[in-house]
Amino acid sequence: MLDWLPENVSIFGEGVDHLFTLIYYITVAIFILVNVIYVAFIIRYRRKRKGERAYHYHGNNLLEFSWTALPFVLFLFLAFYSDGIWEDIKYSDRTPNPDLVVEVMGQTYMWHFRYPGSDGIFGRRDAKFMGTTNPFGIDPDDPNGKDDYTTINSMTIPVNKTVLVHLSSMDVIHSFFLPNMRVKQDAVPGQWVDVWFNSMKTGKYEIACAELCGSGHYLMRAVLDVKSQSAFDGWIDEQYGSQLAALSAPAAASAPNADASQNDQSAPAVSPTH
Amino acid sequence: MEAVLSQEKHAHAGGHAHGESFIRHYIFSTDHKMIAKQFMFTAIFFLFIGGAFALFIRWQLAYPGQPIPLIGQLLPSTWVNAQGAVTAEWYTQLLTMHGTIMIFAVIIPLLVGTFGNFAIPLMIGADDMAFPFLNMVSFWLFPLAGVIMMSGFLMEGGSAAAGWTGYPPLSAIASTGQTLWIVALFLIGFSSILGGVNYITTILNMRAPGMKMFDMPMTVWAVFITAIIITIGTPVLAAALSMLFMDNFLSTSFFVPAHLTVATRDMSRTAGGGQPLLWQHLFWFYSHPAVYIMILPGMGVVSDVLSTFSRKPLYGYKAMVYAIIAIAFLGIIVWGHHMFQSGMNPLLGTTFMVSTMVIAVPSAIKTFNWLGTMWRGKMEFTTPMLNAVAFVSMFVIGGLSGIFMASTPVDVFIHDTYFIVGHIHYVLFGGSLFAIFAGLHYWFPKMSGRMYDERLGKLHFWITFISFNATFFPMHILGIGGMMRRIYDPTVYDFLKPFQPMNEFITISAIVLGFAQFILVYNLAHSWFYGKKAKRNPWRANTLEWQAPSPPPHGNFDTELRVYRGPYEYSSPESVQDYLPQTVSPEELLAQRQRHEERLAQQEHAQPVA
Repeated sequence: MLDWLPENVSIFGEGVDHLFTLIYYITVAIFILVNVIYVAFIIRYRRKRKGERAYHYHGNNLLEFSWTALPFVLFLFLAFYSDGIWEDIKYSDRTPNPDLVVEVMGQTYMWHFRYPGSDGIFGRRDAKFMGTTNPFGIDPDDPNGKDDYTTINSMTIPVNKTVLVHLSSMDVIHSFFLPNMRVKQDAVPGQWVDVWFNSMKTGKYEIACAELCGSGHYLMRAVLDVKSQSAFDGWIDEQYGSQLAALSAPAAASAPNADASQNDQSAPAVSPTH
Repeated sequence: MEAVLSQEKHAHAGGHAHGESFIRHYIFSTDHKMIAKQFMFTAIFFLFIGGAFALFIRWQLAYPGQPIPLIGQLLPSTWVNAQGAVTAEWYTQLLTMHGTIMIFAVIIPLLVGTFGNFAIPLMIGADDMAFPFLNMVSFWLFPLAGVIMMSGFLMEGGSAAAGWTGYPPLSAIASTGQTLWIVALFLIGFSSILGGVNYITTILNMRAPGMKMFDMPMTVWAVFITAIIITIGTPVLAAALSMLFMDNFLSTSFFVPAHLTVATRDMSRTAGGGQPLLWQHLFWFYSHPAVYIMILPGMGVVSDVLSTFSRKPLYGYKAMVYAIIAIAFLGIIVWGHHMFQSGMNPLLGTTFMVSTMVIAVPSAIKTFNWLGTMWRGKMEFTTPMLNAVAFVSMFVIGGLSGIFMASTPVDVFIHDTYFIVGHIHYVLFGGSLFAIFAGLHYWFPKMSGRMYDERLGKLHFWITFISFNATFFPMHILGIGGMMRRIYDPTVYDFLKPFQPMNEFITISAIVLGFAQFILVYNLAHSWFYGKKAKRNPWRANTLEWQAPSPPPHGNFDTELRVYRGPYEYSSPESVQDYLPQTVSPEELLAQRQRHEERLAQQEHAQPVA
C-alpha cells in the first residue's frame, strides 16, 4: 500500500517514510492477529444445537494486566521513537543553518514567494502595509526591500541546500503542502511559522493548499522548481534583472543615471545561497 | 397493601389511555420512550439528508464537472451550473453540512438521544427520567436547530462553508449561513447539556432497589460517562461559538488578527489582534471528547449485544468500566493532536503525541475483552449480533489507522488528506453507525412491540458491510497518495491524476452504500406495523428492560423490581436456563431449580413405562 506514496526527495522525508513503514507493518500485524483470532472464534464458537451452554467465565486479571501493559509499552515506544524525528523536523533549535531563506504568503487562492534579493537581506515588513498589491507588507521606505523580488505560484530553490521558509497568510488559514518534500505546515494569518526542507533531487514538484480556505481551495496550486546550483544562480540573475528593470523602467525615461542601473544589473548578483 | 400498590402501578401504566391528548402523547411528550423515538425519527431523517450530501460530494470527486445524473437539472442555479454539475461554492457548503449533520444531527442524537433516553430508565428499572420536562426541551431544541442550520441553504451566499470544524478567519468573515450554523450548533449543544444533566441525575438517583453502580449494564455505564464528558466539554464549545458569533456578527476580534486582506467584507470595523489558533484549541477541547461521545455509547451497546448473543458473561466487566473511564479522562487531554501542523509550538506536539498514544491502550483493552467475551461462547448471529461483530472489527481498523496520525512525523504527511477521511469514517460509520444498527435492531422489539424481519436485517447488514469497506478503505490509499481533503477537483493536481479510477470506484460503492439504507428504513417501518408480535424477552437477556412489557407502557414496569446480581450472568450453572435475569431472587432461583429437578425425575420415572 505504501507504494502509493509520492516519491520522496526530501532529506528528512526518509525518516518520515521509515516511520510510516514501521507503523504500517506493526498495525498490519496487529490487525491480522486480532482478526484471525476473531474469525476463528466466530467459526468455532457459534451455537450449533439448542440448549448448548457457553463457558461461564468472568475474566482473568493476569490477562487484563498483560493486554494493558503490552500495548502501553508498544505505544510509548512508538511515541518516543516518533518524537526524535519530529524534533529534527520541527524544533527550531534543530533546524540546520539555512542556505536560502524564502518568505511564503498564502492568499485565497494563490501562493506568494519572496526572495531577499542581491543583498541577501529582506526589507522590513509591517502588517499595516499589507494589501493585494503588497502581500508581504514590505515597508516602502526600507532600502533593503528595494531588491527583494516576489513570484506567484512558483517557487525555485537549489538542490541539496537547506531552504528555510517563513510562512504566513494574509487572509484565512492555508496549509503549505509539498507532498514530495514531506512538508505540511499551516499558514496562519497574524503569525509567522518557520518550516525547512532540503531537496535531494532536481525537478518540478507540486505545492498544494491542504487547509480549506474557500470554494477555490482546490485551485491553490503552485509549482516547486528544484534546480541545480548553477541553474539556480542563473535564475536568480534573471529574476533580479527583470525586477530591477521593472523598478527602473519609469525612472529610466527621466533620470540621467540610467547607466547606473545597467551597472547594477551586470554586477555579480550575490545569491543568498553563497 | 401490595394490591393497592400494584393497582396504582397499573393505573399509572395505563397513563395515556385516559385523558392524555394526542399532542401531549406524540408531540410534546415527556415520556422518555416517546422522546427516544422522536430523536430516532428525526436523526434517521437527517441521516438521509447527510447521506445525499455525501453522494453529491462523491459524484463531483469521481466525475469532476459532470452533470449530476437524473436530478442535476432540477436543482437551483445557486447549487449547480447550467449543465447541472455541482459548483465549487455548493461543494464547499455540502462538505461542511455533511460533516455537521452527520455528527451533530445523526450520530449524537441516535447514540445519546435515542439509546440514552430509551435504555437508561428501562435498564436501571426507573419509571422515567429524573427531569421529564427537561428531557422534552432537550429534544425540541434539536429539530429547531436543524431547521435553523438547513435554512442557511436559502440565504444569500448559501449555507455555512468553512468545514464542520469552522476554522476562523474563514468562518469569521463568512455569510449569513455561517451565522445560522453557529446559532444551530449552540442550540444543539444546549440540548446535549440538558440531556447530559438529566442522564447523570437519573443514573445516580433512580436505580432500582438493589442495583449497585457495578450492577449496571455497559450501555448505562457508557452513557453515564458520556454524559459527564458532555457536561464538561459542551460549555467550552458554547463559549467558542459565542465568540465566533460575535466575530462574525458584531465585528469583534477574538479569532481575527489585524490587517486581514479580505475582499468579501469590510474589515474596517474589526480591530484585529485576535488569534485564529485560539478557536482550534477551544473547538477541539470539545470536539475531541465529542469523538468519544460518539463512540463510548456504541461500545456500551456492543458490549451488551455481544454478551447476550454469545450467551456468555462480558469478559472483564470491571476492566471494561475502568477502560471507559480512562478513555473519558484521557480524551480530555489529547485535543492538540488535531493541531500538529497548525503552527502550535512543536513541543506541544510531543506532549499531545504521548497522551494520544496512551489513549490507544484502553481501546485495546476493550477490544481484547470483546474477544474474550466471544471465546468459548455459543454465538447466535442475529442482525444485532452481526452488526456488533462488525463494529469490533471496523473499530480495530479505525483505531489502528489512528496510530499513524498520532505519530507526529507521519501526521505531517497524512494530515488533512483522505487518510483522515478514511479514519474518521471507520470510527464514526464502521464504529458508531454499526453500533447504532446493532442497537436499533436489538431494542426494536422493546420499542415497537414487534419483531423486525431477520432476513431483511441480514441483507441490510451484508450490503452495508461490504459497500462500507469498499467505500472507505480505499480512502486510506488516496491519503497515502497525498490527496487533500475538501478539494473540489482532484484532477487539478498532476500527482493526484492516477487516483481517479479509485475515486470512481469509491463513488460507485458509496452509491450502493447509500441506497442500501432504504432496506433498513423499509424493514423498521414495515415491521413497526406488521411485524410479528414480540415477546417480553425475545433475546433471553438478563437486563431489566426485558422484564417490562413490549412495548413498555407509560411508567414502564408492571412488576416490582429488585436487583440481585450483575447484568451478564449468561450460561450460569446456578440457573436452569442459559440466562439469569438480574431480578430473579435467590429463593425464586432455588424454586426454579427444584421444579426443574422434579421434572427431570418425573421424566426419568416415566421413561421405563414408555
